[in-house]
Amino acid sequence: MIEDFREYKKNWLVGKVESSELLEVVKKVKEEYRTLITISPTDFLERIELNYFFTDLESKKSLWLKTDISRENSKIESISHIFGGANWHEREAFSTFGVDFIGHPNLKHIIISSDFYGKAPFRKDFDIEAHQKEVEKHSLDIASNFEDEFSENSDTETTLNWGPTHPASGPLRLKVGVDGEEIKKVSADIGFVWRALENLIERKDFVGAITAVERICFMDNTNSMLCYAMAVEEIAGVKPTPFAEVFRVILGEVGRVSSHFMGIGGFFGTMGLHTLQMWAMDSREYFLDFLEDYSGARIATASIEAGGVRFPLNLETLNTLEKAIEYYESKRDEFHSIFLKNPMMKKRASQIGIISADEVHEFSMAGVVARASGVETDIRKDEPYSAYEKFDFKVVTKNGGSAKNRFEVIFEEIDESVKILKQAVSDIRSGVSEGTYNLEKDHLVKVPKKLPKGEAVSRVEWARGELMMHLVTEEKGKTPYRLKIKAPSFNHTMMVEKLLEGCTISDIPIVFGSMYICQGDLDR
Amino acid sequence: MIKVLDFFDYARSESPWMVHFCSGCCSLEMAAAMGPRYDWERYGYLPTPTPRQADVIFITGLVSKKILPVLLRTYAQMAEPSYVVALGACAFDGGPYNDSMSVIKNVTEILPADVFIAGCPPRPEAIISGLEELKAKIKRGEPSSASQGGLWKEMKF
Repeated sequence: MIEDFREYKKNWLVGKVESSELLEVVKKVKEEYRTLITISPTDFLERIELNYFFTDLESKKSLWLKTDISRENSKIESISHIFGGANWHEREAFSTFGVDFIGHPNLKHIIISSDFYGKAPFRKDFDIEAHQKEVEKHSLDIASNFEDEFSENSDTETTLNWGPTHPASGPLRLKVGVDGEEIKKVSADIGFVWRALENLIERKDFVGAITAVERICFMDNTNSMLCYAMAVEEIAGVKPTPFAEVFRVILGEVGRVSSHFMGIGGFFGTMGLHTLQMWAMDSREYFLDFLEDYSGARIATASIEAGGVRFPLNLETLNTLEKAIEYYESKRDEFHSIFLKNPMMKKRASQIGIISADEVHEFSMAGVVARASGVETDIRKDEPYSAYEKFDFKVVTKNGGSAKNRFEVIFEEIDESVKILKQAVSDIRSGVSEGTYNLEKDHLVKVPKKLPKGEAVSRVEWARGELMMHLVTEEKGKTPYRLKIKAPSFNHTMMVEKLLEGCTISDIPIVFGSMYICQGDLDR
Repeated sequence: MIKVLDFFDYARSESPWMVHFCSGCCSLEMAAAMGPRYDWERYGYLPTPTPRQADVIFITGLVSKKILPVLLRTYAQMAEPSYVVALGACAFDGGPYNDSMSVIKNVTEILPADVFIAGCPPRPEAIISGLEELKAKIKRGEPSSASQGGLWKEMKF
């Protein structure tokens, strides 16, 4: 049933199926691959190609299925009853590309703002300027349907809006149906930071796209640039130098550490303990100092591009990083004794928000959330990229899957990242003294401005979990033809809806905080 | 003799409280300005969860079409005089998302800002220095720009 079945890269298979046979194939796929990563539609003007990405977190094998549907009659069977994680991804494809999924339980618009409803804004023939003019004509009404949206109460159930202005929520709204204290039903309303990045990138060149890619989420932006750079390199057939690979690891881990500091700070902040938030931000500043020393910017570094890293490295910059590590290590024990062993935290967070390992597979949880439920998944180990194979670190897992376990995983991962950073720094220092790395020249390999026709999938371990990009280019293309970004918070927010049912109102911030959600990568 | 109103302007200017509202990535640098290294509380700034107690609202970077009504309603809920600070390039003209189909490019035409802080994202020092400008404006007893005009007055939200 699968045509043109072949190996795409190590542990990856790719094949094509007829759209009418998709459902049967997917049922068979489920036996071997238990997780759906994402669904990525691409508009080729005469047809729409749907790309289904499956993986198995245990066997580390992945599968990529393609199927074509017509543009005018864009209908296909829904697979959300086979893979629970497909639910929101199908809704996203429905909203942005107008693909109709037959049999989907709740096919409503998601992410996009109401002026795009039913218009399939990501299709190639969507006229943005005409739409913009239309909206401007009615610019005073942009906000008009707000009143009905925010007041929906019935006699027995009250709808509580948690967010988008709640201090712990960020720009995201949970519509919480409560009966007294008890939560009956939660539905998330997302899209408040929707910047249509996937579409925006199609109008930038390959280098300019970096500014958009790094803004997926500012908490950890180095790894998202790395993911994009890897996809471009794969199509261009360029390999960065060994020095650039090692330095990318350093930048990636610094991004991860600074994001984790915000994560633990946010988690404890929602419980009302602001001390940890302050302490974590204090340590984070030192790591940002390193980024600033290297690139000139604290956060928006734009430091990784296809072909390597953007700037040559001055060895003294590494001193700043060592200082940051030293500062964190001097604080580490205090962190652990006051917060990790905190009896209040243990009592408050160990019984709520429990995710089982089966749910991790079913709903495609990633990163910290998956590892806290005992699933050993880490792209750095499963599909080693950059120079991660060179370094020794372990994948932190916890059994239990509660909010407390996720918090512990984040904490221990900082230590693992620091371990990698130390090894990478000494690797660079010894490489320079032995003469294998040339700091002046090695940082960047030239990548052509026009790329050949191709498709690439790249995955990195982001601070919050797996980040996947699917890049499509045209022959002699100066701009990406299509870039699909799969970010972990999307699935995690879907899970929040399920986790909160049956909890009380006071549990919302803790469960939400422990899922480590960034609204930037939720909406993109 | 100091007039009573002058005194209120003085008191208000030395402790501007800002409502906790974030719509974009600049809120991360706002958090850093709140943090221990930059510690804006030593200048009297304090974030508060409710708009009723706040004097200042931040437009933290980009404002998408979906969050605009939320921003306006939060602003409308604040007691007068209420000031607006626009953070970052996005609040000025859309910044890096200028081409984007879902980001509002003229936020400050809709809700006029008293102070613009440049940067993408602005550094915490810049945020604090911008707030000092706001303090000077409050001390001079000038009304907030948003109370003087802007499209928000005609909008339904």
